[in-house]
Amino acid sequence: MPMYQNGTEVDPAFRDLEVRQDKIMRRLNELKAAVDGLAKTVTTPDADLDQTVTSLSQSPTATSFRGTADLDSLLGKDLGALRDIVINANPARPPLTLLVLHAMLCQRYRVLSSVHVHSSVSGVPAQLLSCLGPRHADSYVRQRFQLGFTLIWKDVSKLQMKFSIQNMCPIEGEANVARFLFRLVAPYPSDPALATLVDSWVDTAFFQLAEGSAKERSAVLRALNGALGRDPWLAGPELSLADIACYCCVLQTGPAASSPANVQRWLKACENLGHFGPANPLLQ
Amino acid sequence: MALNLTINSSNPPLGVLLAAEHVKGSVNLSVDEGKDNKLRVSESVQFSDVNSITRYLARVTPTLSLYGSNMLEQTEVDHWMEFSTRRVCGQSGLATALGELDMALALRTFLVGHSLTLADLCVWAALKGSNDWQSIQKQAGAFSHVARWFSFLGSQVPFTAVGNKYANSKA
Repeated sequence: MPMYQNGTEVDPAFRDLEVRQDKIMRRLNELKAAVDGLAKTVTTPDADLDQTVTSLSQSPTATSFRGTADLDSLLGKDLGALRDIVINANPARPPLTLLVLHAMLCQRYRVLSSVHVHSSVSGVPAQLLSCLGPRHADSYVRQRFQLGFTLIWKDVSKLQMKFSIQNMCPIEGEANVARFLFRLVAPYPSDPALATLVDSWVDTAFFQLAEGSAKERSAVLRALNGALGRDPWLAGPELSLADIACYCCVLQTGPAASSPANVQRWLKACENLGHFGPANPLLQ
Repeated sequence: MALNLTINSSNPPLGVLLAAEHVKGSVNLSVDEGKDNKLRVSESVQFSDVNSITRYLARVTPTLSLYGSNMLEQTEVDHWMEFSTRRVCGQSGLATALGELDMALALRTFLVGHSLTLADLCVWAALKGSNDWQSIQKQAGAFSHVARWFSFLGSQVPFTAVGNKYANSKA
C-alpha cells in the first residue's frame, strides 16, 4: 500500500480520509465538552433538590470541628463535590431516629444541615422546620464541610434517602437510612451474631413497635424487658443502633410510665446519654 | 461451630434456603424441617425472622460478599431486603413495586454491585413465592428487565435446586 508523502502526490482517497478524521475529532471534542458539562451538573449536589420551596433553618452553630478524614475509606473517594445526604420525609411521621443520628453525625463530622419544605406539603409545624438546629454561620462555604444533610419535608408514603445517586439506588425506609447513618458514626459489632441482633431489633422497632397492633407492641415490650434484664443495652455492653431505634419507637407509641421495669430503667439510661435531645421536642 | 437451621416445611422460606445453599460450602450448617423458621447459633442466640437469618448467614461467610463489598452496597442490600418483605410480599400493589424493580434493573445484571448478594436472593425468593408474579410473568413484555433478571438467576444451580424442591410445596 503506498504511503502518504509530502502532500504533493496525494491520493484523493487519503485527503477524504483526512477530512473525515478531522471532522470526527471535532465531533468528539464537542461531545467531550457536553459530557463534562453534564458531569458538572450531576456532581453538584443541589441538582438533586427537586423544586423545593422554602429554605429554612441550618445546622448547629457550635459544631465541634472534630471531623475525621475516614469518610473516604467508608464511602470511597468522591469527585470533590460535597457528599450530600438528601432525605425526603413525611411531616406526619417525623423520623426521630434520624434526628438523633444527625446529632451524632454532627459530633463526628463537619455537617452542613438544612431543612426544606416540598410543595406537596403545607403547614409544617415550626419545630419540624428547626429540627436540625439553627442555621450554620459558614453555610455558604460548602467546602468547609464534610457532609451535607438535607431534610426535605415532602408527601412521601415511605421515607427516602438519595445519596451518591450515580452509584446507589434511592434507599427506602427509615430503618435502612438509620443503618446507613449509624455506620457513618460507629462500626457495627464485628461479631456476626451481635451485628445481626442489632438489625433484628431495628426491624422489630420499626415494624412491630411503630406499626404493629397493641398486642404486638406489648409482646415487644416484654421481649425488650427480658433482653434488658440480661444486659445494660439491647445488643450487649455498648449502646448501638438497636437502642436508638427502640428508644424512639417506644416513646413515640406510648407513655414511658406503662413500660416494664427494665425498660423504664433503660429509657432513663438512654436519656442520661444526651443523644436524644433532638428527638424530645417532637415526642408527644 | 455448627449452625442448625429449622424451616417451616408447610411454608418454606425460599430466601433463607437460597442463602443456606450458597453458604453451605463455607460453614457447617444443617437444615431440618419443622414448624417454624429458626436459626440456632448457640445456646443463647437464635434468629427466627427471615431477614435476620439471611443477614447472619451472609455475615459468617464474608468472603462470599453476599452483604455487598462496601458500605454503600450494604445499604442497598438493606433496602432490597426490606423491599422484598414489605413491598413484594406486602399488601399494597405488586405492580408499583415491580415498576420500581424494573427501573432499578434496567442497567444492572445483579441488583447490587456486580455480583450476587442477599438483595438478589431475597427479592427473587419473594417473587418466586408470589402467585401474582407467576401470572404477570406469562404476559409477554411485562416488566422485561425483571423478567430477564428473574430467569437469569432462576436458571442457575442453587436457584433451580431450591425452586424445584420447595417452590411447589408453597402453593
